[in-house]
Formats: sequence, structure tokens, C-alpha cells
Amino acid sequence: MKTEEKILRQAQNRNKRLDAFQRLLLFLIICLITALGTIIWIIPDDTPGLADAVVSMQEHSGVESSVTAVLLNFRGYDTLLEVMVLLLAVIGAWSLAKAPFPRQVTNTSPVQMGVVRLLVPLMFLVAAYLVWQGSHLAGGAFQGGAILGAAGVLLLVTDLPCLRAIPAQLLRIGLVLGPLLFVGVALFCLFFTGNLLGYPEETAGWLILLIEIACAISIGLTLSSLFAGGHPEYERPQSNNPTESSGNGEKP
Amino acid sequence: MTSLQLTSPSWMIIPVILPLIAGLLSFLLNRGIFAIALTAALANLLAVSILTCQLLSYGPMRCHMGGWQPPLGITLRTDGPALLMLLMTAVTGLAITLYARGYFSYRILDPKRASQHQHQQRYFWPLWLLLLAGLNGLFLSSDIFNLYVTLELIAIAAASLAALSGKPASQLASFRYLLVNLLGSITFLLGVVFLYKSCRVLDLDLLHNVPMNKPGISAALALMSVGLLLKTALVPLHFWLPPAHANALAPVSIILSALVVKGSFYLLFRLWFEVFAQLITTPALNVMGTLGAVAILWGAIQAMRQHRLKLMIAYSTVSQLGYLFIAFPLARIDGSTQVWSIVIFMAMAHACAKSAMFMVAGTVFLHLGHDRINDLTGIRANLPITVLAYGIAGVSLMGLPPSGGFIAKWLLLSSALASSQWWWALVVIIGSLLAMTYVFRVMSRFFVIPEGYSSAKSTPPSPLLEWPALVLAMISLFLGLAASWPLYILSTGNPALAQVFSGGLP
Repeated sequence: MKTEEKILRQAQNRNKRLDAFQRLLLFLIICLITALGTIIWIIPDDTPGLADAVVSMQEHSGVESSVTAVLLNFRGYDTLLEVMVLLLAVIGAWSLAKAPFPRQVTNTSPVQMGVVRLLVPLMFLVAAYLVWQGSHLAGGAFQGGAILGAAGVLLLVTDLPCLRAIPAQLLRIGLVLGPLLFVGVALFCLFFTGNLLGYPEETAGWLILLIEIACAISIGLTLSSLFAGGHPEYERPQSNNPTESSGNGEKP
Repeated sequence: MTSLQLTSPSWMIIPVILPLIAGLLSFLLNRGIFAIALTAALANLLAVSILTCQLLSYGPMRCHMGGWQPPLGITLRTDGPALLMLLMTAVTGLAITLYARGYFSYRILDPKRASQHQHQQRYFWPLWLLLLAGLNGLFLSSDIFNLYVTLELIAIAAASLAALSGKPASQLASFRYLLVNLLGSITFLLGVVFLYKSCRVLDLDLLHNVPMNKPGISAALALMSVGLLLKTALVPLHFWLPPAHANALAPVSIILSALVVKGSFYLLFRLWFEVFAQLITTPALNVMGTLGAVAILWGAIQAMRQHRLKLMIAYSTVSQLGYLFIAFPLARIDGSTQVWSIVIFMAMAHACAKSAMFMVAGTVFLHLGHDRINDLTGIRANLPITVLAYGIAGVSLMGLPPSGGFIAKWLLLSSALASSQWWWALVVIIGSLLAMTYVFRVMSRFFVIPEGYSSAKSTPPSPLLEWPALVLAMISLFLGLAASWPLYILSTGNPALAQVFSGGLP
């Protein structure tokens, strides 16, 4: 019995040990990281960067927080594309798999139920506050959306009505709401000021808040949908062949 | 009024914004998706044509997003190379849209797995449209961080598309594709971090004017180059390409092979020869050229050894990408727009020819249910247009006159000989001969008619499956005859480009 264990452990150790090639690779990687670290260390830190430019233009941006000003005004185009990347992740996940939800979650403990029931409304509140606060302090759509997403995850694991209570079409609308509104506002600005995302100065704050609210909702739904891991149901079940509708593209 | 509108640089955002909106709508709506996609593809082509007119009349343009000037805001710009890549994407994109329609309709008619095909079609359109927006954004952007965002958009859309076929092989390949792409993106992002820490600006034009003597900039360039090479699949880093491209659905293979790899290559070329031209040394260029030469030979030999048509075409992509990198060592000697013309011609001709070939492979696969090269006999009788498209596309891949591939190889040969680097010329000739071997190997099977073969046993496929391939193949063929036209666009309003080449490269 003991010898068997010994042999097993030896075998495991042998698997853990690195062979020559892996050691060489490890050495090279360490060298690379050291070199990169050295370079980043010796780069002189004297030039001020874009911080000054941001501060000098801050008053024209319509918001008091410089992070929000950069994210949604100065580099709003980047953020627009980033929001699209998030949506793309959901589309990609939905194209691959069907969500295991709604499936009966077996015996959720009452303590968990109670905690989640308490927490989720609070999280909604915090998310709303963060989005609102984004205009003058740290916060904004991504932070608020992340908290909404966490609330969605809690609801999903506790078998409380959440994503699955939302009809598929409504869920799609919710997911697309943020990106679509963002593009809409961008085009609105194009028609009124001649620049994509060039907000008129007096309404900039409100437009940014509008975008942030819509994006926070979409990001929250996006993150929960990603946790659910697939499309909630079959949108267009095949009428002539109902048995086939369960077999989507991800058969092993 | 019209001239006022034509001079507005805001036209530039249409190729990005329009596919974005179309992608969102096609995800949201349940019907009319093809109409949306077709409208977007047509409008994209129209917008790019308007941009071309703009470039020819008014020279390169800049568009500041939100009205914020460069160090703070993001700038989009048009110039000759960017516009030609946009044109290539728009034309190929329109053909892909039409072909995909035919492809999915044909498959949905098959009662066995109709719902699976419907599911694939449902998700193909939003992914493809968002990918198109990402590509257009990449070609237009002039901001290094924004370029990273577009790369990310392309990477995620492309990996999702590659997984769409649902076969285990394709899911494995696309998962690897996703990981490689993310590794490339993160390496690129790390390079951007180094660059920003050293230079404190993100705009490409401002970066070009920064003194290039800091160590951080070299490290940044190295990191970004490795990331982009990984995405472009230059030979030691090509391992992910053939399985990912060959196992995807036919329209997806076209997108990946014709357009996606060109995006990262274009960016790499731009960084090396415009922004960081002062940093580039001859050994670095020779390394690129050598890897390109290995890619040409290795890819062609692998292509000859394949038994499946799609895998053969995928390896041919590895081989053809090598030609793009052979242009690197020639660029230094030449010091003019000629190197751009080589690269752009090669990219355009390859995009059209390779799209046509993958379309042919897809149609043949639909028709026969397999794509084993040895069993492709008799196709000529059933799919004459498709076989014609294959032949013409093959002419361009081999580089026979008057195709676009011929012009590109001719330019490559002449500048190799002019700069007395004959060994690159030798590689080009051997590569073309090998290409001939693998193209003809399939061609000869097409023309064998086995005994007792009746051509009437199957229905002809829809014209949407056959004609886009033929039209693209014809474009790649006649690109060589109309060669002066792209060259004219390339050189129009490009004193900056010429200046960079004469000033930046000693």
C-alpha cells in the first residue's frame, strides 16, 4: 500500500518537474520580464502627459470628474467602441451555447435567500448612486454597471427571478439600449454641432448622464448574461421540427 | 452646398458608424436582417467611394472626434493606403454579404438541421457587421489606443464567427484563435503603455515627431510588432490559422482569410514605415523578409500536401501572407511609394482571389457534402461558373498576367533586382511555381469526369453562391489591367508619405 503511494507521488513529482526546454523557456521569460521592467523603470517621468490638457479643457466637458470627461467626452469614441466590444462578447456567447438557466436550483438555503433579498435592492441603489456620482467624483457607467451585474449574478445563483423573468426580446432591447443610445447621441451631436460626439457645451452634462444611465443598464445586463453563459431561449423555434430546436450549435 | 458637404471630413465616420448601427439592429430585430446587412454593405461602399472622391479632390483629410484636437482627442484620417484598404474591404464585404445570404438560404432549405442553420445565420449577421465596423475603424484610426480598441473589436468578433459552425474541431480551433488573438492584443496594449509612458502622446502624427532615442519606444515597437505578427500569422506564429480558417463556415473563412489578417498587417506596416521609420534597422527588416520567405515556401509546401480543399486554401493564405513581408527589406532601399504599392496590390489581389477561392470551396462543399480534393471529380459539369471562378482566382494567386497578383509580384521582382537583393526574387519565383502546383492539382480534379457520371442529378445552386465568386475573381484578374488607378489613389495628396520615405529612411 505504502509503496504504491510512493510510486504515485514520485510520478506526480516527475510531472511537476520541468524538463530542459521548459526551464529554458522559463529563463527566457524571466529575462524578458526583467528587461521590460528595467525599461519601464528607467523611462524618465518628467513629461506631464495629457493630464494638463485634460485639466485645461475640463470646464468645456460638461462634467466635473476628469475621468468621466476623458471617458465620455474627450475620448468618447473609444468608449463607444468598448461598449460594442462588451455587447459582442454577449453575442458571441449566445451564438455558442444555451444558458443552463432556467434550471431548478436545488435547495437554496434560506439564509442565502434572505441575504440576497436584502442585498439586491441595496445594490441597485448603490449602482444608481455611482452612475449619478460619475459626473463629479469617481464613478460612472462601468462601475454602476458592474454592481448591477453582480446583483444579476446573485439573483441568478439564488433562483430568484432575474434574467429569465425578462422576455427574450426585452432582454435584447436592454442589452442594445446602451450602445444604441450612445450611437444615437453621437449622431445627434453630429447633426447639431458638426462633430461626432461633439456635445453642445450647455447640454453636455445631461447627454453624458443619459449615456451613462443607458450604458450602466446594458453593462449590468451584459455581465449577468455572460455569467448565465448562453442565450436564454430559442428565439425562433422551428415549427415544423420541434425536436430539433433543442440541438443548437454546441453539441460536443 | 454639395461641395460644402463633400469637403466635410465627417464622411469619414460613416464606414464605422453605419455597420455599427446595422449590427445592433440586426441583433435586435427578428426579420429583415439581410435587408439591413445589404443596405449597410452598399452604403459602406458608397461612403468609401465618396471618401475616394474627397481624397482625389482635396487630398488627405482629418476628422477630430468630438472636435477635440490631437493630443487630447482621437483623430481619424484618410490617405491613399487607408482608402485602398477601405475599398478592398467594402467590395469584398459586399460580395461576402451576398454570398452569405445564398449560403445560409441553401443550408436552411436542408430540412435535417434547419434550426441549427437558422441559429447560425441569426448570429452571423450582427457579428459580421460589427467586425466590418472594427476593420473600417482600424483602417481610419490615427490614434494608437483607439487602434487597440478596434483590434479588440475585430478579435472578439472574428473568434466568435470562427466558432459558429459548432463542430468540435472548429470550437477547439476558434478557442485557440481567441487565445492567440487576446495574447496579441495584450502584447499590443503593453506596447501602447510603454509608448505612452515614454512619449505622453497617443496620436500617430505626434508620435512620429517625438525624438526616437528613448529605450521605451524600441521596447514598445517590439511588443506591438510581436502582437501584430501573432495576429497576422507570420510563419512561426501561424499555427492557429489553418485549423481556424478551414473549420469555419464558408462565409466566415472568407472574412477571416481575406480581411481580418490584412487589418493587423496594415497596422504593422504603418507603424514600421510611417510612425517609427527612424527606429527600423536593416537586420530587423531582413528578419521580417526571411520569415516571409520561409512562410511562402512552408505554406506552399503544406498546401500541396493537404487532402481537403479548405485546408489547402488556408495554407495558401499562410504562403501568400509571406509575400507581404518580403516587401519589408525592399522598402528601405526603394524609399518611395513603390513599397506601399507592392503591399497594397498584394493585399487587394489576395483579398479578392482568396475570397473567390473560399466561396468556391464553400459552394463545392454544399454541393458534394465534402471537400476531399481527390473526390472532386465532375464538378465542372454541375458548377461551371464556380469552376471558372476557381481558375481565375488561381491565376491571380499564381501571379500570371494580367492579374493583380502579377503586378504585385512584378513590382516585388523589379525592386528586388534593382536593389541587388536577388535572393528575394528567387523566393518569389519558387513560391509562384509552388502555388501553380497546388492550384492545378485541384483544377485537374475538377475536369475529370468519371464514367457514368450524369450532370443532371443535382439542382444548380442559387446564383448568389456562384456569381460573387466569379465577380471577385474577375476583379482580381483585371486589377492588373487597371493598375494605374490604385496607384493614382495611392500617390494622390501623399507628399507626406513620400517625405516620410525619403526623410525617415536614410
